[in-house]
Order: sequence, then structure tokens, then C-alpha cells
Amino acid sequence: MDQPRIDEDQQLVARTQDGDAGAFDQLVVKYTPRLYGLVYNMTSNHEDTNDLLQDIFSKAYKSIRGFRGKSSFYTWVHSIAVNMTLNFLKKRGRRFHLSLDDVDASIQNDKEFLEVTQTSSPVREADLSELQLRLNEAMMKLSDEHRAVVTMFHIQGMPHAEISKILKVSEGTVRSRLFYANRQLQNYLDEFRKNPVT
Amino acid sequence: MDEFDNNEIGRLLRLKKYEQPPPGYFENFLHEFHRRQRDELLRQPLWRIALGRAQDFMMSLNVARMASYPVAATAVLLCAAVISLKIYQTTPAPNVARLSPAVPAQQAAEGGWSLAAPVSTRFTVSQPRTHLSTHRAATPPRYVLDSMPVSYESSLRF
Repeated sequence: MDQPRIDEDQQLVARTQDGDAGAFDQLVVKYTPRLYGLVYNMTSNHEDTNDLLQDIFSKAYKSIRGFRGKSSFYTWVHSIAVNMTLNFLKKRGRRFHLSLDDVDASIQNDKEFLEVTQTSSPVREADLSELQLRLNEAMMKLSDEHRAVVTMFHIQGMPHAEISKILKVSEGTVRSRLFYANRQLQNYLDEFRKNPVT
Repeated sequence: MDEFDNNEIGRLLRLKKYEQPPPGYFENFLHEFHRRQRDELLRQPLWRIALGRAQDFMMSLNVARMASYPVAATAVLLCAAVISLKIYQTTPAPNVARLSPAVPAQQAAEGGWSLAAPVSTRFTVSQPRTHLSTHRAATPPRYVLDSMPVSYESSLRF
């Protein structure tokens, strides 16, 4: 499944390197939603995400001539996005406010959503938007590096190997960060369940 | 089961993919990207634009592929030839003595050495006049006794 996509990306990259700006536009259109999810879940702020995405694609465009295709364009552009977002978060520090995006209506048809809400779980007790807020808060309590791993693994569905390539760390490091982050999120959400804020 | 376990947290996190930006955001993103690129281009100084174009030009020539040993050797030989030509073409500076005015310009301007002006008032001040360096300063001193030529021969008187 991935092969045609990679080939198509390679062609678009080659055309961009030959000066065809339209080919890069196609890459932008293709990867914007995915990179939006990555950056948004690391910053929890729509305006910051928008500015960062613009900068990420701008940087990718400027340095695409240096891209030699050792990795896929997908991995390469994700590396740029993660590094730029981590740098941004370091500069921003703890000064941030959550700006939640709306939950898409198609969530109602999602198999996972139905499972989560219909089984006897603490999720049922909480309003979804409240839970969304708590989850974002819990995510923001993680360190930037842990949040990056959680976002890529749980939300973006990337395999450990891909994450380790993007972050340039070993797969073991990815797994241990994920384990630690899951424990932290679990503790935070349990606390919320025991002491819900009305 | 009343506690969140790993699977449940995973499921909850996966639902976050449904958090979406305002409607129309993705449609306008490319337009906004182009607008920012143009703005950025306008804000750049001219030299940077020129540098960027030069870089593009060099990249289009594929300099990396051209940079082989024969090309490098040719470039070195060319540079050496140009430098040696420059060295051998330089003519030696003409060794012509500079004419210096007999009277220092400053004194002439002051009008101190004109025949009409009294000379005595000028040189009574006993200050070192180091700036009065004429072409004679470099020559060894000559000694003239009362403007009379020195001679050991007896004067011929008849």
C-alpha cells in the first residue's frame, strides 16, 4: 500500500527539485492534515499550530534541494515538523493556553468511540468535551519529548521504527518513553475520575 | 473496571484525530502559504535574493557532479596562471628623485624668507626647528670656515 504513495512522493519531490513549484503544492495539500494533527496534539493550540505549519512547509521548500531521498519524504517532513515544534515548545515554555479544535461529527460512527462510550468505562461518566479537555491537559503535563512519542504512536498510528527514525533515537527509547507517558496519563485521568471538576 | 488502563488510554487518544480545525482551514492553507512566501520574498534584502538565485543557478548546473579531479586541477592551473601573469606584469616603480622646493612651503607661506622682510626677528627664538628639513638634512655636514677656503700652501704674494 505504501509503495505507490512513496513513488508518487518521489516524483513530486524530483519535480520540485527541478523547479516545479506546483509539485510542492501537491505535497503541501497531501501532508497538511496529517502534519496538522501532529503539531496540534503537541501544542494544543490552533494558532500556534497554524503558524508552525506554515514555517514547516516553508523550511521544507527551502531545503528540498538538499533532500537526497535517503528516507521517504513523509519521514523527512515529519522530522522537520517534530524538531521545529520541539524548538518552539522550548521557547514557549509553560506560557500557553489550550485552544480546542471542534470534534468532527464523524466521531459518532467511529468503532473505537462506540467501544469506549458503550462499555462500562469511566468515559461514560464524563462528557466527551470535558474528557477532551482533560486529556489535552494531561497531554500538556507530559514533557515535550514524551508528548511527541504519544502523538505519533497513539494518535498518528506510526510504528515504533518510524518514530525512532523521525526522532533519531533508538526503538528502545521510543518504547520506554511511551510506557512512562502512558503511566502518567493514566494517573492523571484516574485522578480526574476520582475528583471530577463540575 | 473503573480505572483507565493502557488500552483505554490508547483508544481515547486515537479519538483525538477527530479534533479538527475550523471548516475551510485546509482549503485555505495553500493560499495562505503562497501569500506568506510572497511576503517573505519582499522582506528579504536584495543581496539575499541575488545569493539565492546564484545558488539556484549553481544547483541547476549540478556543480557536485562537475567537481571531479580533472576539473579541480584545471581550476588550480588557471588560478596559478592568472597569479603568475599578475606578478610578472608588475613594472618596477621609477626611481626618480623627487624635487623638493628649496624653501619650505610653510616658511614661504609665512613670508619669512623674502628679501624685503627682516630676517633677524625670525631666527632669534631658540627652539628646535625640527620641521625644517630640506634636502640638505640627509647629506653629511660640510664645514666652511668663514667662507674662506682652507689651504696649507703659502699665499702667493708678489
